[in-house]
Amino acid sequence: MANDILISGRNLRRHYRRGSETVKALDGVDVDVRAGESVCVLGPSGSGKTTLVNLLSALDAPTAGELTIGGRRVDGLSERELVGVRRGLLGYVFQQFHLIPTLTVAENVALPLLFLGRKAEPAEIARVLAAVGLADRAGHLPKELSGGQMQRVAIGRALAVRPRVLIADEPTGNLDSHTGEAIFDLFQKTVREDGVALVLTTHNLALAARCDRTLTLADGRIVA
Amino acid sequence: MTYSALAWKNLVRRPVRTALTAGGVALAVAVAVSLGGFNLGYRQAIAGSIEQLGFQVMVMAKGCPYEAATMMLKGGTGLLYLPEEAHAQIRTDPDIEAITPIFIGIAEKQNYSLDGSPAASAFTILSGVDLDSFRAMKPWLKLKTGAGYDGGRWFAPDSTNEVVMGYEAAEYEQRKVGDVFYVSVVPNGKVDPELHAFTVVGVLERTGAQDDGTVFLPLRAAQTAFGRENELTIIGIKLKEFNGIRMREFEGRWLKIPEVQVVSLEQVKGALVSLVGTAQTMVAAVAVIAVLVAVIGVVNSVLTSVHERTGEIGVLKAVGAGRGQIFRLVWLETLLTSLAGAVPGSLLAAGGARLTDAALRHLLNIGVTQPLVRITPGLLGAAILGAVVLGLLAGIWPAGRAAGLRPVEAIRSGE
Ligand SMILES: Nc1ncnc2c1ncn2[C@@H]1O[C@H](COP(=O)(O)OP(=O)(O)OP(=O)(O)O)[C@@H](O)[C@H]1O
Ligand SMILES: [Mg+2]
Repeated sequence: MANDILISGRNLRRHYRRGSETVKALDGVDVDVRAGESVCVLGPSGSGKTTLVNLLSALDAPTAGELTIGGRRVDGLSERELVGVRRGLLGYVFQQFHLIPTLTVAENVALPLLFLGRKAEPAEIARVLAAVGLADRAGHLPKELSGGQMQRVAIGRALAVRPRVLIADEPTGNLDSHTGEAIFDLFQKTVREDGVALVLTTHNLALAARCDRTLTLADGRIVA
Repeated sequence: MTYSALAWKNLVRRPVRTALTAGGVALAVAVAVSLGGFNLGYRQAIAGSIEQLGFQVMVMAKGCPYEAATMMLKGGTGLLYLPEEAHAQIRTDPDIEAITPIFIGIAEKQNYSLDGSPAASAFTILSGVDLDSFRAMKPWLKLKTGAGYDGGRWFAPDSTNEVVMGYEAAEYEQRKVGDVFYVSVVPNGKVDPELHAFTVVGVLERTGAQDDGTVFLPLRAAQTAFGRENELTIIGIKLKEFNGIRMREFEGRWLKIPEVQVVSLEQVKGALVSLVGTAQTMVAAVAVIAVLVAVIGVVNSVLTSVHERTGEIGVLKAVGAGRGQIFRLVWLETLLTSLAGAVPGSLLAAGGARLTDAALRHLLNIGVTQPLVRITPGLLGAAILGAVVLGLLAGIWPAGRAAGLRPVEAIRSGE
């Protein structure tokens, strides 16, 4: 399974129109993500990291280039069609956690199952919460948690659908280095134990060094 | 976790906004239900009250027919009289099945409190009737029985001091069989009132009509008391065959008596219905405005909530929610808001029906005794259904907007 390519991008471009000028956020990027590997995307601010992971997670569509996710060609698909691609296959973790404030920890974790039309088995939710180290917080609201705990909930939410790829945009960016380290450990554990692929962006070179591979972006191109 | 639970949690997140929006819906539903109840009730009330008169045609002194009609239902003031010979003439008409002469007068009640000092006085309707023909016209009239009412009977046709009281009149005056009922009457052409002490010989059961508030006595006794020996107030007539043609023929035959007019109760009904129709249009306008305002309120509230949650909706999409699912979620919020207003609004209207009835009665003053506002379970169901349908319509726009958000942009704008 090690060489099973889950995501494959060729010559990916993502251009934004800003008034009369065109911002080339991504300008010809080739990338492959295989099952069970961790890929770290590095690069200075504005280099296109977020733009790239948004494409890889089917949250956004490329302006040009070929993109295959889970065996499906994605370039040229509408938002309506992209939903079907990301559902169940991809789990997304944000820098700002983005938990639903009115829902408890367990409910946040179970939320993606609702949209998949799957029943949230309590045992399954408990398993996910245990995996992210929040077994004793199931009934808490996000506002009652620390930043690190919130990110654990977000990871649990991403894992609840048992995705094949976990995508995280600066997941430790809002956490202190110690907490960030712990979150990164959690990511590594899921890669090891569940065989999911991990794509994450970071400014933290120490964390990047612990990934299987790194990609470095500058001005929308891969430079290393 | 269900969509409804998710929608509900979003609504209670902003309790004041949700409550105000639902309150607007409740108000609109309450107005609409009251209007609907009025619509259901008033025709029936008018028809019922007219039915209870027992006759289809009446002959009365010339005057405003509207006034005449409402007077008949209300027993109001401004009574006009016609000569009694008219009765003798008209009763020979071949098309008549039944006919009864009626004399109505207004008397002042003389109430004495327990210590014998005069207490509040008010007016009462005295109705002089020809017993046999009157009872034939209203076969449903029954004398009350039971403690205090046993031995009740109709007055003797030639008595001068016996009365039978309608249900409410007796209740109000606290009179039972055998009691004395004092009234004073100013006879026609005199200045000073004359006191009469009537013996209550019977009390009628409730009819739900004007008769409940009336005090009955023999026709002759009433005419004598009011000093109008050969006069009548109305002549009630039932035709053998009642339709427009027969009615016009009958009217044509008796227009020759100069002092009288022939009024069909169908006409009266039509006049009252159209009178009420005007008020109804007014209430309908208010209802339409209230409903519009409520719909706008719901749209506005849900749009605002969607706008506030743009980022959150982006996140829901990022974790797998499709267009249809976001639409469904926001639509459910609109639906729940509408229901949260519609149910209390309906209950409010049902609970306040008597108040609405009283207000309309005050506004219209048509002298109909039966309830003008009838709120049925079907009406409440229809109102709630209507609110749900309107709520769903109101939800289409905000839900469509939410559903159409692109996740990346939504999340960015929410940050
Ligand atoms: N929606 C947008 N409209 C216009 N320009 C955009 C948009 N999103 C990103 N950009 C531009 O695209 C370029 C790449 O942005 P991106 O967010 O991918 O950078 P990044 O590497 O994630 O930066 P950071 O490390 O600060 O998060 C930037 O120049 C940014 O201004
Ligand atoms: Mg970024």
